[in-house]
Amino acid sequence: MIERAEVMRIAKLARLELNEDEIAQYQEDLTRFLESGAKLRQVDVSEVEGTSHVIEIRHPLRKDEVRESLSQAAATAGGPHVVNGYFRVPQILEGQE
Amino acid sequence: MGKYETVIGLEIHVALLTKSKFLCTCSTEFGAPPNSHCCPICLGLPGSLPIVNEKAVEYGVRAGLALNCQINSYSKFDRKNYFYPDLPKAYQITQEAFPLCGPGYVDYYYNGELTRTKINRIHLEEEAGKLVHSGESIVHSEYSLVDYNRAGIPLIEIVTAPDISHPEQARVFLEQLRLILDYVGVSDCKMEEGSLRCDANISLRPVGSQTMGTKVEIKNLNSFRALERALEYEVRRQEAVLKQQGQIGQETRTWDERSGKTFSMRSKADAPDYRYFPEPDLPPLELKKAWIEDIKDSLPELPLERLHRLMEQYGLSHYEASFFVNYPDFNEMLEETAAIFPNVKMITNWLMGDYSRLAREQGHISPKMMAGLLEIVDQEIISNNQGKDVLEEMFATGKAALTIVDEQGLRMVSDEDALQRVIGEVLAENESLVERFISGETRLFGFFIGQVMRKTQGKANPEVVNELLKTALNSRRI
Amino acid sequence: MRKLAQLLQQGEVSSTEIVQNYLDRIAQEEGRINAFITVDKEGALAEAAASDARRKQGEPLSPWDGIPIAVKDNICTLGVRTTCGSRMLENYVPPFDAAVVTLLKRAGLPILGKTNLDEFAMGSSTEYSAFKAVRNPHDESRVPGGSSGGSAAAVAVGEAPWALGTDTGGSIRQPAAFCGVVGLKPTYGRVSRYGLVALAPSLDQIGPIARNVGDAAVLFSLIAGPDSRDATSSSQASFRLQLEDEPFPKGLKIGVPEEYFGEGLSSEVRQAVENALSQLEALGAVLVPISLETNVYAIDTYLTIAAAEASSSLARYDGVRYGMRVEAHDTNTMFEKTRGRGFGSEVKRRIMLGTYVLSASHYEAYYEQAQRVRTLINQEVQRAFEEVDLVITPTTPTTAFRIGEKRNSLEMYLSDLYTAMANLTGIPALSMPCGLDSQGLPIGLQIMGSHFQENVVFQVAYWLENALKGGSLSNG
Repeated sequence: MIERAEVMRIAKLARLELNEDEIAQYQEDLTRFLESGAKLRQVDVSEVEGTSHVIEIRHPLRKDEVRESLSQAAATAGGPHVVNGYFRVPQILEGQE
Repeated sequence: MGKYETVIGLEIHVALLTKSKFLCTCSTEFGAPPNSHCCPICLGLPGSLPIVNEKAVEYGVRAGLALNCQINSYSKFDRKNYFYPDLPKAYQITQEAFPLCGPGYVDYYYNGELTRTKINRIHLEEEAGKLVHSGESIVHSEYSLVDYNRAGIPLIEIVTAPDISHPEQARVFLEQLRLILDYVGVSDCKMEEGSLRCDANISLRPVGSQTMGTKVEIKNLNSFRALERALEYEVRRQEAVLKQQGQIGQETRTWDERSGKTFSMRSKADAPDYRYFPEPDLPPLELKKAWIEDIKDSLPELPLERLHRLMEQYGLSHYEASFFVNYPDFNEMLEETAAIFPNVKMITNWLMGDYSRLAREQGHISPKMMAGLLEIVDQEIISNNQGKDVLEEMFATGKAALTIVDEQGLRMVSDEDALQRVIGEVLAENESLVERFISGETRLFGFFIGQVMRKTQGKANPEVVNELLKTALNSRRI
Repeated sequence: MRKLAQLLQQGEVSSTEIVQNYLDRIAQEEGRINAFITVDKEGALAEAAASDARRKQGEPLSPWDGIPIAVKDNICTLGVRTTCGSRMLENYVPPFDAAVVTLLKRAGLPILGKTNLDEFAMGSSTEYSAFKAVRNPHDESRVPGGSSGGSAAAVAVGEAPWALGTDTGGSIRQPAAFCGVVGLKPTYGRVSRYGLVALAPSLDQIGPIARNVGDAAVLFSLIAGPDSRDATSSSQASFRLQLEDEPFPKGLKIGVPEEYFGEGLSSEVRQAVENALSQLEALGAVLVPISLETNVYAIDTYLTIAAAEASSSLARYDGVRYGMRVEAHDTNTMFEKTRGRGFGSEVKRRIMLGTYVLSASHYEAYYEQAQRVRTLINQEVQRAFEEVDLVITPTTPTTAFRIGEKRNSLEMYLSDLYTAMANLTGIPALSMPCGLDSQGLPIGLQIMGSHFQENVVFQVAYWLENALKGGSLSNG
């Protein structure tokens, strides 16, 4: 069983506020997932590299040209709290990054 | 307890001078209204995808070549995940596992000696947005405002090896690095505007020890001076802790300019877990050798090469050559003027003297005009002192030196007959003083010179007057 | 669709009439199906009117100008709310069109609305939509599959002639199978992902869902092609295919992997697929028994990679720039509350899992391991396609299950057992109906090709469809 503290650590990392039921549920789900995936970890992969791109594609680079941006109004249209064209956020506590 | 030695490594972020951002086509221009240089990509809107700016890659390679780095023809992008309101996607696109540039080095003079600092790597990444705080500092603000105009500007991060051994050396190194990047044109490197930022890692260990001490990272170093001061403070602090048999904690500290101290931000236990993984939205970057070669061929002369060349080619002292290396505009002036007027010693004296004040205030005049001035001073058409006045006038009016000399009738009188006449007049008018001079008051010589200069409105050639006056007075002695 | 296009061309019917007809159908069926999150009645009718005007001028944008479409609600539409089935984006209106939406508009297709899905496309039943569960038109007590359940159900019930879906582990093919329609997950990189709200960017693809193979091929031809805004988009030429003109490719080798016919496969599904395979043999195909041993790892590999990528791709929903925010005294708490309440339980589960497998102490054992197993799976699939031209399997182990039947997330994940491999390897895979089970529920058959071989996949699907229509083996 994955420890509760580990579930809490992961939730903090992912910035998810979880209630007690959720913590218990995810503790169980994570544990079950890791158990079911045990066979995956037995596979000998020493001979291969990981795949992060499945199709070989030549990286397309873009010319350094400026195109029109969104207007300030459009850029901030969806903002939950916008002040003078800025997005406003509450107090930022030290060392939170 | 014995003595300690300091081990310093730097992580330097440099904003690249592209016109558009790293991963989108928004302008990188500074000072626009908030959130007016933003698009779905740099705002991290759902569904948007990044496309890499070729110029950013080129500038990264250019910087790498200028810092003698190995250029990796194969590099990859990764996501660095962390939450912060200035980071639109809550991950930064960067290069962790396979950076654009591998090991390199910078050679520079420190305390008169040629010194080398190794570079471990250089990678490309995107800039975050800017926070404006309602209060004095971030934590003392009730709220903050976010502007994403800066988000997505291309950066390179340069990581040095931990082989800097003194706070002052760290500053000198960083100044040299800035100069190099300025030479190759990839960044304007302004620490005040944040286009050059530096974090420092510092540890102490007993002299002779091979193992590294515990590393402390220092952030918020906003000037070259701050870098040096913060490191000096940290050396003292760590020394004091070690001398009392204490333990240095592995942590991140922030420099406070006002108090001149560093403060703990977070300990190692709180170190962020960035969960790097390969960026699925961007395929690996494969660079053609020929492209890298083209960039290499386009590199200009670099500061150290120039220093050595100026000393060799023009016989400048290390001090003089450094001046021109540090101010490339003055160097251009020097070399272009020297192409017209070959007395480099004289050009150097002028450029480093009055000219430098005027040029800094008003910008440079043309090398041709400068040569024009130096030529007439050299030919004694005007005196050195007159030359300085003419130079001021050239800056003020933009006129050529000779034009000013003619308009103001400044041509120096070197004609011996004419000067003989004036000297005769002066001596005749001051018979009693001449007597005193002859009887031994030799300091009166200066008075006679002054009278001659006055009668010629300062145009008399001082050297000629000097000679003629000596002869005249001597002849009276007999 | 060809018929509809012909009627439009001959002026027998107007786009406005067609669109109105589908809007009526939506009004009639939505109460029981819940296929749509947003119906853009005004927008669709305005586009239809514009289309009719173009026709009158004799300047249609394409043969399909005026034929409407439904778009899954995780594909961005300029000015039309795009929710991803999540409270987080309940009122989010994108300031741009996805690349595929631009292509649809360029071909003159009015957009009827945005279809329902599992929240952020995470799910296999469309029960995880934050708004409402979609019902299977064949049996309302059953799920339509997911996550493109809204698109598949809308097409199946006739609320839209065709639709766009998205597929990360089976999200087009599984609902297509459950709803008795045709769906294609294209080769990775063949359709631009620009404007597709990411779940797992290395696996996601947009694809067509239609009533028959021909329509699916037409819709695919409209959306396929390179796009300079998606760095993973392939430069491969766009797709063109006249299915009717191509004879059945005799001698074609079809691989039948034993691993896909083993434990867990319902006997009715097996029988229907085997019947279809004999039809193909009769048409001149050669059936080749093959083995895809690594498929046993496909689900776990897929889950690990998809969760990891999702945990990062969904990090941007932090309440700062758009979407929902739960106010708090400090920013960090605001992040946690916003994300804690804005996301549903399945999304949070996957984010937790993805964060876990990427975190420093687990990265190597889980994420890195999965990336490497992905390589082994790729290698095996590549070897298989050196021997055979296509691989045919059931799309799903069973037909549509009941709403609420799968309580356990792991059980739900097994729905992707036969489909995840195509996403991991990037190959094209199409699901088409191949019969009905004893309860009248559609059975799906999956045809997989090698990279960029959609033309062969469609060709064979087309002939199989004809053969099955011809009737002797069809159960329904």
